[in-house]
This record gives sequence, structure tokens and C-alpha cells, in this order.
Amino acid sequence: MKNSLNIAFASTALIIFTACSSLQVTEESISNQSVAGVTVSSKSSVAQAVLANAVVYFEYDKFTLTSQSIQALKGVVTLMQKNPKLTLSLEGHADERGTREYNLALGQRRSESVASYLVSNGINRSQLSVKSFGEERPLSLGSNDSAWSKNRRVEIK
Amino acid sequence: MKKITILTLIFLPLACPGELFLEITKGSEDPFKVAIISFEGSASVSKKLNEVIRNDLNRTGEFDLLDASLLLPLIVEENEINYGDWNLLGMDYLVTGNIINMKNSTDVNYEIYDIQKKKKIRSSKVFGLPNQLRQLAHYTSDGIYESISGIKGIASTKLLYVIDVHSKNLNTRYRLMLADSDGANEQTLLSSSEPIISPSWSPDGKKVAYVSFETGLAKVYIQNIATGKRDSVLSKNTQISSPSWSPDGKYLSLTLYQDGNAEIYILRLRDQTLTRMTNQFAIDTESTWSPKGNKILFTSGRSGSPQIYELDLRRLNARAKRLSFEGSYNAKASYLPNEEGIIFVHRSNDGLFHIALKYKKENFLRILTEAKMDESPSVAPNGNMVIYGITEGDQSMLAGFSLSGASFKLPASQGEVREPAWSNFLR
Repeated sequence: MKNSLNIAFASTALIIFTACSSLQVTEESISNQSVAGVTVSSKSSVAQAVLANAVVYFEYDKFTLTSQSIQALKGVVTLMQKNPKLTLSLEGHADERGTREYNLALGQRRSESVASYLVSNGINRSQLSVKSFGEERPLSLGSNDSAWSKNRRVEIK
Repeated sequence: MKKITILTLIFLPLACPGELFLEITKGSEDPFKVAIISFEGSASVSKKLNEVIRNDLNRTGEFDLLDASLLLPLIVEENEINYGDWNLLGMDYLVTGNIINMKNSTDVNYEIYDIQKKKKIRSSKVFGLPNQLRQLAHYTSDGIYESISGIKGIASTKLLYVIDVHSKNLNTRYRLMLADSDGANEQTLLSSSEPIISPSWSPDGKKVAYVSFETGLAKVYIQNIATGKRDSVLSKNTQISSPSWSPDGKYLSLTLYQDGNAEIYILRLRDQTLTRMTNQFAIDTESTWSPKGNKILFTSGRSGSPQIYELDLRRLNARAKRLSFEGSYNAKASYLPNEEGIIFVHRSNDGLFHIALKYKKENFLRILTEAKMDESPSVAPNGNMVIYGITEGDQSMLAGFSLSGASFKLPASQGEVREPAWSNFLR
């Protein structure tokens, strides 16, 4: 009975309102969206007996290797030659300046630079895993030149 | 005649830890003057509803609301309205309304009167569950905004963003969050020990795509908001990032790293068909779709520095057209909904990053923000507001501005808040 009353009321209202063209009449219900949260845990990386543990650094906005970086990479080449079954993870990073996605791509270019150097020195590409964390994993948390220079790096693990 | 019985007690927490707190910093210069008479109904419910509506309207920067304390919570009948009095008070519009609580539903009825024209311009009803009071308020303020400004309101839209919570043992926790457009009603969509970036809405607001590093490699996931069901996009052993949903929901543009460099691809979701869109030695990433879905914007380093390009998807092998020419860093662009301009991150000559706007008809850009490291702009679906990430001191938080000149902040009570993404219209 209540419903029919409402309908009667609504249609009366509609007639009144259509007579007055500039009046806007609306009726809407709230959409009800439920939300489910998810928790994920990351897989721990497999420990290697021999670790390269070298880090090379880059200039702002650049992915070219410096002469200092090349010195560090020579040691990595020697290590790889002594351990031909060793696989290396090259993890590129950027400082916090600039957009996150562009920095992810920049970190990737940096680790590709390291990979190219190693391959040109006889290392098999299949022994290298090239990746980037962009600006997401800073070594140093400050917002200054010193922190930024530590964060523009490729970690060789 | 109407019997109003409040059977449901609505629980209103005074403060919700983790929620963002709205802080309005500036309004526009020529606002609409509006009197909103406290909606008739149970005192606590009415107070909350009024608060949310006023905040929503204030946040747009386009309203000058008459101080609520000057108004008695009167029952106003249409034939009792003295337009002359409201005119003397300098009001352009009057809003009245009531709230009716029933066992399983709450109704909000409201009327809008144009003081100059001396007539009612809107009569509306919004109804929902008793625990949806904030949503009822958002729908109501959107109705008020629409009738007065002529533009669709965004109070009932939602935001995605990422919070990094640093704990004492230095293990950072990353959370992908969903909240109302005012930062309230915050809920966790994903919690991870590894970084999360680049959240993107499906156009229907039911799914999100984002980049998670949980496997140690950047991968794109699609997650259903209601069920929590999530899938990794493409089973390739390569980094995948920067997802953006096409306006029709059928495609996802992505950045793939399988070519040894960041390149843009478009994935057809129905059958997982991948089409490569860029083929450059330089970085190509951060693709976003035009509102009509026939073009994409992206960032490319092909000129030697990151700049914004546009690619026409209707033409086979179309050449990307460069859109940004000022400065040595322009990135992460998105279109205004009317496609008349683009919003992006611009590095000024002093090395600081700001949000900038460039209209297609103009040959200069407009810098719209003034902090140091402004990032990740996301445009509201009505094109009137932009939300972005700022850093103040050591704290990162969300801030917003309207293209009419208003601004606001959403400071978080904890964590670093970043990467906001504004949903489409949801009502």
C-alpha cells in the first residue's frame, strides 16, 4: 500500500514539474560497491655462494658508464670468468627526481649499459638478469646531491 | 503525516587513523553565493551530512557558502521563501532539504532555489543504506554543483593512491588505497612489502591496474575491487609497467621491456593480442589514452630529453607528434576530458618539478603548482580539478587544484602518500 501511495505521489509530482520546464527533478540511489583487500608477500631471492656485490654509479639523467664504473666492472668480468656458471642480477636505480615510470625506464637503461659492457667482454648474456627498480628503492633517503648521487646506480648481485 | 523513526544508529568516528584530512587552502575569486539550510532530520545525521556537503562544495573553490551558524535549521516550504531577504543577504541560490531515516534506508530530499529568478530549479531525492551517509552527501553536493555550475560534479568519484608506511624496523610497507574524492572512507586494495606504482582505473570503476614489484620484477596486475581477484597481465618474463585503460575498457596500453628498452604496446584484453606502438632506441613510456580513445600520449627520450608525444591510433604507422618544447623535462602527460589541452610534469630552469598545462591552441605552457617535486598529476573526469603528489619537508602528500584557481591539500596522518589516480564518474 505504501508503494502505491509513493507511485501516486511521484506521478503527481511529475505532472506538476513537466509543466515547469526549467525545473530539474531527479531520483537516484547510491551505488553500493564492496571492496576486498589483498596482501601479497614477496618471494625471497635464492642465495648464491659467490656474490659480485659491485655497485656502479651514474650522472643525473644519464646511463653511460663512467671510467670509474668501468674499473669496477673489470673486477666483475674477472669474477665471471673464474665462475662461468654464475648468474648475475643487474638492478638499475634512479634518484627521486623526475617521474616514476621514466625513472623505471632510466634504471633499466643503466642496467642495460652494464649488461652491454659485460657481454662485450665475453660474458654470456644468458648469465645476466637485467631489471630496474626506478626510484623505488633508494640507498640514501635524503633529498640532496649527496643522496641522489648514491641512488643513481646499478647493483650487481 | 510522515512518521520519522530513527531505528538505525549511525556510527560516526571522530577521527579515523590513516585517513587523509582535507584542508582547503585557497578559493576562486568570483564564487557562487549559496545558502544551505541545515537539512531537517536527526541532529547528528544532519550535522554530518551538512559538513560533508559544505566541504565538497568548498573544495571546488567555486562556492561562497553562507555560514551555517547564521541559519536556523528551519523547515522551509516553497511558498514561504522570501526571495527578497535572500537577495539582501547577497545570495545567488538557496538549498533546503531533509533526511529521512528508515530501518534499511536513508533518503535525502533537497531543493535548489534561484534567488534572482525567484524560482525552484531543482527537486531531487537520493537514497541509500543508512551507513552510506557520506555517499548520500556526495551525491547531494554533486546535484547542487551541477544545477548551479552546469558542470557534472566529482564529489561522488573516487581516488586511488599509494601509501608507503615506514616502520621502526625500517621495513617499508606499501599499500594501494581506495578512498572517496575527499580522502575519507579509505580502504586498502593491496598491501605488499615491495613497491607499488602507477595505479590506473578501468573506465567503469570496477577494476584497477597497477605495477607491483612483488616478484622482484615490475609486473602489471589487474585487480577486481569488489572480489580482490587479481591477475598478472601477460605471462612474459620481462618487466611490464605503466598500464593505462582505453576509454572503452577493451585495451590496456603498457610499457614492455622485452626489447632491451622501454617500448609502448597495446594489449587487447579479450584475446591478449599485443601490438607494438613504438620502435625507438630511446625510452618510450607513460602512455595515456585520449578521452575518445583514438590517440595516446606518451613520454619519449628520442630528442635527447624526456618530452611529450602524441600518436594517432587511427593511422597505420603514424609518426608520433611532439607536443612539448619548453624545457628539458616534460613527462607523464594526460589529456583534459575535452582534449583541449594536456596536463603534465615539467622541470623548470631552476631544476624544480611542477605540474603544467598546455592548451593545444597556445604555444606556451602554464605552470600551475609551486612546490619543489610536484608529481603524478591526475585530472578529474569533469576536467575542473587536478590531484597530484607534493613533498613538504620530508612528507609527501596529495594536493589538488581547480583550473579556476582554487587549491586544497589532503595531508595524511601517517605514511608517504603518492601516485593519485582519479576515477571516472561513478554515478
